[in-house]
Amino acid sequence: MTFRGAGLFSASACLLAVVATAAAADKPTEKISPDQLAFFEKKIRPVLVAKCYKCHSAESEKVKGGLLLDTREGIRTGGATGHAVEPGDLKGSLLIAAIRGEKKDLLMPPKEKLPPEVIADFEKWVLMGAPDPRDGKAKTAKKPDLADGKNFWAFQPVKPVAVPQPKDTKWSTSDVDRFILTKLEQHKLKPVADADPHTFIRRLYFDLIGLPPTPEQVAAFVKDYQSASGNRESAIAKVVDQLLASPHFGERWGRHWLDVARFAESSGKERNYAYPEAWRYRDYVIAAFNADKPYDRFLREQVAGDLLPAKDAAQRNEQLIATGFLALGPKGLNERNREAFVMETVDEQIDVTTRAVMGVTVSCARCHDHKFDPVPQRDYYAMAGIFKSTETHFGIGGGKNRQPSTHVPLVKSFTPPPPLTQSAAAPVQVASASGGKLTPEMEAKLKQFVQKNPKLAIRLKTMSEAEKVIAFERLQGNVKGAKPAKNASKYPETPAAPKATGEPNGQWAMAVLDGKPADCPIYIRGELEEKGPVIPRGFVTVLGATEPAKITPGQSGRLELANWLTAPENPLTARVLANRVWQHLFGDGIVSTPDNFGATGERPTHPELLDYLANRLVANGWSVKQLVREVVLTRTYQLSSTPAAKNFAADPDNNFLWRANQRRLDAESIRDGILAVSGRLDPQPPAGSCLSGLADTDLGRAARTSLNTDARHRSLYLPIVRDMLPEALDLFDFAEPSLVVAAREVTTVPSQALYMLNSPFIRENAAAFAKRFQGTSADPKERITAAYLLAFSRPPSTAEIARAESFLKAQAAERGSSSESALTTFCQALFASAEFRYVK
Amino acid sequence: MNTNRPFDCRNLQPLALTRRDMLKSVSAGFGYLAFAGLSAQAAGYQSPTLPKAPHFTPRAKRVIFLAMQGGPSHLDTFDYKPKLKADAGKAGDKGKLVAPVAEFKQRGQSGLWISDAFPKVAAHADDLCLLRGMHTDIPNHPQAFVQLHTGSARFVRPSLGAWTLYGLGTENQNLPGYLTIAAPIALGGAQNYGSAFLPASFQGTRMDAPLSTGPVDKKARKNDTGTSQGIGNIRANLSATAQRAQLDLVQGMNRDLLATTGANPEVEGIIESYELAFRMQSEVPKVMDMSKESAATLQAYGIGQGSTDNFGKQCLMARRLAEAGVRFIEVCHQGWDHHNGLKNRIASSCVAVDQPIAALLADLKQRDMLKDTLVIWGGEFGRTPTNGAADGRGHNAKGYSMWLAGGGVKPGISYGATDDYGAKAVEDKMHVHDLHATILHLLGLNHEQLTYRYAGRDFRLTDVYGSVPKAILA
Repeated sequence: MTFRGAGLFSASACLLAVVATAAAADKPTEKISPDQLAFFEKKIRPVLVAKCYKCHSAESEKVKGGLLLDTREGIRTGGATGHAVEPGDLKGSLLIAAIRGEKKDLLMPPKEKLPPEVIADFEKWVLMGAPDPRDGKAKTAKKPDLADGKNFWAFQPVKPVAVPQPKDTKWSTSDVDRFILTKLEQHKLKPVADADPHTFIRRLYFDLIGLPPTPEQVAAFVKDYQSASGNRESAIAKVVDQLLASPHFGERWGRHWLDVARFAESSGKERNYAYPEAWRYRDYVIAAFNADKPYDRFLREQVAGDLLPAKDAAQRNEQLIATGFLALGPKGLNERNREAFVMETVDEQIDVTTRAVMGVTVSCARCHDHKFDPVPQRDYYAMAGIFKSTETHFGIGGGKNRQPSTHVPLVKSFTPPPPLTQSAAAPVQVASASGGKLTPEMEAKLKQFVQKNPKLAIRLKTMSEAEKVIAFERLQGNVKGAKPAKNASKYPETPAAPKATGEPNGQWAMAVLDGKPADCPIYIRGELEEKGPVIPRGFVTVLGATEPAKITPGQSGRLELANWLTAPENPLTARVLANRVWQHLFGDGIVSTPDNFGATGERPTHPELLDYLANRLVANGWSVKQLVREVVLTRTYQLSSTPAAKNFAADPDNNFLWRANQRRLDAESIRDGILAVSGRLDPQPPAGSCLSGLADTDLGRAARTSLNTDARHRSLYLPIVRDMLPEALDLFDFAEPSLVVAAREVTTVPSQALYMLNSPFIRENAAAFAKRFQGTSADPKERITAAYLLAFSRPPSTAEIARAESFLKAQAAERGSSSESALTTFCQALFASAEFRYVK
Repeated sequence: MNTNRPFDCRNLQPLALTRRDMLKSVSAGFGYLAFAGLSAQAAGYQSPTLPKAPHFTPRAKRVIFLAMQGGPSHLDTFDYKPKLKADAGKAGDKGKLVAPVAEFKQRGQSGLWISDAFPKVAAHADDLCLLRGMHTDIPNHPQAFVQLHTGSARFVRPSLGAWTLYGLGTENQNLPGYLTIAAPIALGGAQNYGSAFLPASFQGTRMDAPLSTGPVDKKARKNDTGTSQGIGNIRANLSATAQRAQLDLVQGMNRDLLATTGANPEVEGIIESYELAFRMQSEVPKVMDMSKESAATLQAYGIGQGSTDNFGKQCLMARRLAEAGVRFIEVCHQGWDHHNGLKNRIASSCVAVDQPIAALLADLKQRDMLKDTLVIWGGEFGRTPTNGAADGRGHNAKGYSMWLAGGGVKPGISYGATDDYGAKAVEDKMHVHDLHATILHLLGLNHEQLTYRYAGRDFRLTDVYGSVPKAILA
């Protein structure tokens, strides 16, 4: 029993007013003697009614502390802090302590001590066993109320929205602008001027591809933009389309997804083993954004790619790799208890799926009903059943790992349907996952499967029951104890790898496959030892999921989950993505808590606009590129970031977007920008990862130095080892890869300054930057101008040239540096400046 | 939240406030000055971390927090439970009761019961104020560790050290006011020393653990670019004058940027961070350089002696930082999550920290610094009297021990108690919020008055909780 200061009755505790009542099962009516009944009715009930029911009964307007005193069950169960009455036990009865005023901050009724004789009556009553005739179940003070919960804005279906008509009909160039301008007008704000073309082009390049434009690209755009005949809009549209077609677009926007997918190449936690195949998932994500794979399809592949039909081996492999999304979370490989490990994995999968896709924290309901959102514990376990019916193949074998797992083989041939003959012909050395029992469903499935192939149909007739079971399991991609094909594997120590669904191509992936389908019981308080009722598999009921979900027999339910997540009726999926797109282009989302659309999250600043964008996304076939294009072509996106005093006074936080936000670049853009400006960037993606070879490798601290973090590839290809991030990323608030990160922090600490002043990386790149001017005009003015164009995508002002010139002169003359090293020092100063790491 | 607080017009703000504009008002209007084209220095700009007057006379001037991550067992160290020993093997709440794995003895004049797991710390029993009635909310590492550091497991809130710096500033303007050594990267990571909605200048600066002397680390040291030298990239790349000139150029550009875009606390933060970084370059190596410490001191801390080497260096570093005027120092020792192999693992964890901590206490005392340095020892929770899994103990948020020393706490006492088996706190219970309130109190800060307005309301480290047990104040 916790007994916290003001906790029990304070206003803030009302938020936590969730009681554990319904758990207590029906109890037969207690036997009470007539004397006891009389005592209760005379001495106790009147006091309770007069003094307590106002705040502690089902009729209370606001139940305090989750405590209900109007039934026997309620008074015995107690509220947020423990049992109110423990029959026969004065010390254990919180109610007694409260009316006695024994504890500081806990006097009940508040500010009114009951007369001593009344207190004595209550003591007497507790000691006689608290006889209480008040049958009936205690009402739950505040169970997640689904009907009520559905009224919450984020759980409401996305509705068609009419585009508003602002008073100023000329300013807007798009419907999005009309939403923004209408709000601005309502708040008596005026949008500032458009950004100048230099500022704009730098912003656009970093936002779309995460790299600065070259001086040539700047010049071409500025010329186009300013030419008298040219149309500004078309100049911008031209560059936008070029950038959307660039392979760097997928690198930039894929990385945004990798943040929420908590992508990393190691297990993290106590034993930090390498995930040598995780890079395949990274490359899958990048390719998906480059190909503009419809976002709903992208999600379905990641949740259930193994269960989706494939037309050939390439697609089969791609979809298997996609499910790496569920496999590459952090793992506590030191866990001895298999069940605990499985439930941790399940929890992590629920968390990443619900937060990354829908911005709700279902995993809060693991131990109890969600405290803030209408997600009951049974929804959690309905989803847990789906993931518990799934085998997670993260590909780490023995050694000190207590939870060995295999990879999933990729295939070079794959003809739908999968080759049953081969499976059926396999010797029956393979252990059956289901224990060898052939169910009628399995038989029906096999029959259905061989229908199109007479040869297989004949074969099926000759098979024993055990062979049929195995054939069925092969069909499900779920076999334990199968040996991988010889010479096909670089993971010879993984004897339990699942059988390939075609001819193995010698490559492996982190992936999930269906396991033994089963519903999951509620784990009371999330503890392994205490299980409650078994919950049929399903999804989040407040979001309109049916109960239970209709799941194909013999499957986990992930396919149905994937379809449900991406159904147009799902109120969150499209909104969450539309919000993220907005956030990555403006700095803040329309909902400024992009991974929390629940009750504790922020409300949208422009709810209609959010729905408008969500509708557009779905209407355009879930095309991310289309949505990005639409937003960057708005006038709102093209605003300058210059302040305007009147607006500033009214909306200093720029909630209504009267100007562009000045934004710090993310860690990758800072590092990539430095490499690009110094001319050292290798724009090609690397093959694999420097962790590729590290099978079954526990990455000790020493690995930090052996990992190739000084590669010149773009930063997203650096090894992302949990708890060992490359310095250049770590210092500038890279997404913590063990967590779902929808919005990165922006910190400012002296370690960043020291990195800019002294790190070898900056020094080398400053030197390379300076070297770019070798053999060019020796006129310092020209060099300074060229350097500014490279670093900031704009020419310097006269004052800036003068300051830089006098700096170079002083460095050379007074401090005797060579002009080359003076130039290096100058170039480093450009990297170190705030302007370099900001887009305006 | 603080409806009983007198109305304070200084907190009156025209609009619902956001992080950004609060940052503005706290960084002393620097942005507005720069916006107006004035140089910060000329306008008498003052760093937000300059020393500030506390609310009342402080007992402690600085804090050294020895964080034991993983949930150290109180039952085998500082909470004497003879009944647990007597009833070992019997069925408890969950699983069998497990006897303490180390003998308890009474120590010093005070007669405090402390086990043989901490023989050297036990010799300082008369300096310790044992808190045996601690409890927290969630028996789960990340949440509990974050709550220990920020008061809230659920929301991102400023850390204890950041609140301290916000309330008091720091003595030495050439070093960060809040340093955390070897902070875990997981378990909330930077959140544990973050500033959340407080200005970024109050955020903790993370240092790696000083290199230990094993053969593996020699190799690491050779390839090291400076990251393992406590604070990365601390060695200046240019001569002081050349670097100053370079920095003046950088800062000139930064002020220009600020002037074009108006108040921007982040850019102001960058300007500040460069100045601090510049000063740190000369100051940090001095503080980090242990070569002038006597052989006797190194030996006392267990430096160069295998298992104590790493934490010994951290503790010695903590003393050096304290001496140099750093306000809040945290050192961290991980691996206290003893679900199994209790006997051996308790022993090895304790051995690694026992001598270093004892040496730190002795050293502070000898320098007459213990009187105004508050030393805090403890983890995110304690452990259960029963075995969770094999031969170990489970997580216990309902009752555990921490201890304080120096800095105005009553020495040689024990405050609070758990039940007969040490399963939960029952007497003079102290929640993490109460601990936070107490720490602030010892530093001369009233936890109910140390507020910061954010998102339209005044926030406190202790939210709406926290009380200071007078019984433990000297």
